[in-house]
Amino acid sequence: MHKFKSKKSILLASITSIFLVLTGCTNNETASTSNESTEESANSITLSWPRDIGSLNPHVYNPSQLLTQSMVYEPLVSYEDGGEIQPHLAESWSISEDGLEYTFKLREGVKFTDGSPFNAEIVKKNFDAVLKNKSSHSWLGVINVLEEIKVVDEMTFKMILSEPYYPAIQDLALVRPVRFLGESGFPEDGDTSKGITEPVGTGPWVLEDYKKDEYATFARNPDYWGESPELEKVTIKIIPDAETRVLAFEKGELDLIYGEGAISMDSFNYLKETGDYQTASSNPVGTRTLLLNSTNEKLADLNVRLALQHGFDKAAMVEGITLGLEEKADNILSTNFPYTDIEVEPVDYNTEKAAAYLDEAGWKLPSGKTVREKEGQPLELEIMYDKTDPIQKAMSETLQAEWSAIGVKLNIKGEELTTQIERRKAGKFDVDFWYNYGAPYDPHSFINVVAEKGWGVSEAHSNLPMKAELDQQVQEALASTDETKRKELYGSILTTLQEQSVFVPISYIKKTVVYQNDVKEFIFPANRDEQPFNEIEKASN
Amino acid sequence: MATYLIKRLLAIIPIVLFAIFLMFILIRLSPVDPAEAYLAAANIHPTEGLLAEKRQEFGLDQSLIVQYFQTVKNIVQLDFGNSYVTNTPVWQEVAARMPATIQLALSSILLAVIVSVPLGFLSAVYKNSLIDHFSRLLSYLGASIPQFWLGYILIFFFAVKLDLFPVEGRGTWQHFVLPSVTLSMALIAIYTRLLRASVLEELEEVYVLYARTRGIKEKAIMVKHVLRIAISPMLTGLGMNLGKLLTGTIIVEQVFSWPGFGRFFIEAIFNRDIPVIQSYVVLAACLFIVCNLIVDIVQLYLDPRISWKGRTEY
Repeated sequence: MHKFKSKKSILLASITSIFLVLTGCTNNETASTSNESTEESANSITLSWPRDIGSLNPHVYNPSQLLTQSMVYEPLVSYEDGGEIQPHLAESWSISEDGLEYTFKLREGVKFTDGSPFNAEIVKKNFDAVLKNKSSHSWLGVINVLEEIKVVDEMTFKMILSEPYYPAIQDLALVRPVRFLGESGFPEDGDTSKGITEPVGTGPWVLEDYKKDEYATFARNPDYWGESPELEKVTIKIIPDAETRVLAFEKGELDLIYGEGAISMDSFNYLKETGDYQTASSNPVGTRTLLLNSTNEKLADLNVRLALQHGFDKAAMVEGITLGLEEKADNILSTNFPYTDIEVEPVDYNTEKAAAYLDEAGWKLPSGKTVREKEGQPLELEIMYDKTDPIQKAMSETLQAEWSAIGVKLNIKGEELTTQIERRKAGKFDVDFWYNYGAPYDPHSFINVVAEKGWGVSEAHSNLPMKAELDQQVQEALASTDETKRKELYGSILTTLQEQSVFVPISYIKKTVVYQNDVKEFIFPANRDEQPFNEIEKASN
Repeated sequence: MATYLIKRLLAIIPIVLFAIFLMFILIRLSPVDPAEAYLAAANIHPTEGLLAEKRQEFGLDQSLIVQYFQTVKNIVQLDFGNSYVTNTPVWQEVAARMPATIQLALSSILLAVIVSVPLGFLSAVYKNSLIDHFSRLLSYLGASIPQFWLGYILIFFFAVKLDLFPVEGRGTWQHFVLPSVTLSMALIAIYTRLLRASVLEELEEVYVLYARTRGIKEKAIMVKHVLRIAISPMLTGLGMNLGKLLTGTIIVEQVFSWPGFGRFFIEAIFNRDIPVIQSYVVLAACLFIVCNLIVDIVQLYLDPRISWKGRTEY
């Protein structure tokens, strides 16, 4: 009996300790039900983000998030609609005739949140910190050609390049790595790649409260040099699961769901159809294209590539699969990017034309068979898609059905994303999905991969008869300092690509946003990575 | 007893080594290059130079054999390295997230015990009654409903529609309710049936009959004798499931945005953050072994019929 009692007390003790652990680690706040966020402050919004915001270091990548980096740190120049570059922390700039020397005049009266002034010295210090870690930024054109930063006077500095590179200015508009940390944020040795001491920026928002993996709250910067945001506070809740985001939004715990891929097309349409919320989609941020590998001997023939393009009902496919969230694309690059407004004749859906092209290429349909043949070989191709992407999968299946009607057998193969990239780079594919980079990277990043080997895109074009000429034009366009010449070159490059049909444009991808009815003035930023909070207002109830 | 314990503890070493070996092979079988996954997650367009640099930084440029022995050496020294993504020591990352996960696991166990002990017991005592049918239905549901789906359903009804609990996050006791219910449903399903079966078995024993003939009150027989013995297999099951529970929080943490270790692990898988994956596998392996060991010891204590000697041979 004695033994039994002691066992009982052990059980009791363990249950009590479990209780203690549970209650001890929770605090005594009351539950956050739906009213909480609205009561807290009428002039604030709460949105979800899939990942923790990271270290808020302007000069590093993972795990820092572009959205929050762009709230705290600002660029020299900003990327606006249509690819126009506007002064931001730099008031003006001039470029030497040889395209090697950029002189920037900085904006007066800008202060970091630690009170220190924004001037040429701190600009140099930031650039130096970035250059110290040059190799990790080598993907960015301007860093590769950047030789040095010279302080001219307090508010003027020079950026010296080793070779002319026209998109240098565009690259400075990016969210990272060229944005500016205040003096007190730097570690002692000035090497920000290992970490910063505090997130000190010039931007409109200041980090106020942060709990890793849970939330981050930003308050309006009271000393902001530019137009002050309407909202006082932006709270970012970290919600990794897309369905949970939608449920939290429906309950009213979130005011806004924003971010690429933050909400599934089904959920977006569901919320839209309820009529209880506001929804919007942006201008095209990129194009979904097919890549037809010209090094494949069947696809080396332009007639075959054209036949495939005529052989599917693009409009119906895009509408049906993306539920109207993407728009049928005729141009490889949508015309809201600089230099992309070229005359393009849309390739219509016409199976007769497709059949005629295939006949002309020598691919005939033997009687009694369903797949065309040439010299005993069947016209069989394989498309690879990212198996986690339901849209790519559905489109592959549609193409399989559509192309079988013109006598082309399409096999479909789902791959892991990285395997897909690997195969693309090795040129081991027939048909693939590809996306351009969007604002502010395009069109210069786009033409760069068309010419530069290593990505698989240039290689896929390598059987074009005018490939050498095309590469030459790309080099000239990237180095050109003459606006008219550059425009001409872009026109010529894009027209050739359009005619050659290695890229088959399918649809324009758009960003989506869902917000509650009391949120006003949501405007998509022109730069796809930039934060959208400066203009947002909240109607007072 | 000391020899037994030492033997059991020593057995951990080959098992963990084997777990490391398996994990090493499985990670390398994946076609995904961690360097490339890192750059993709950072929104950087990978160039050959960058990839080579990252591979070198991660030590992936060495031969597999060298990598393997390096891995074993580090783990044996309890050095899990730095996370590829956050560049901070994995230990630090794990330690920061473990409390949340442990809290959730404990609250689920507590809930499972509170529900399944009375339910299992009553459904055995009142066999084929309404409560027995109810417990059977609950067990079927608990065993067959996928956790993520149950999570969404609970959120939909109890957070969105009825507005009783928050949808996600952590901070107050209300935040515990839905994730704990989700996580404990499967446990409740198992333990209710387990307890019911073992209570029924005990009721057939002679000592029950004897106790009755002695005129002991039915209530006393049930609580003091039957339940006490019948609960033993359930305790075993509970202990064995502790490890499973901690690893089982992965899905629930994702659905409820619970800032625990499971969620961190999922992200690590997507990012091919090998040091984090390794630490998780090793920790999980140790957890399972230790839990089993504790269960064995507790059982020895509860049931003297199981001898130390007999156990050591096993």
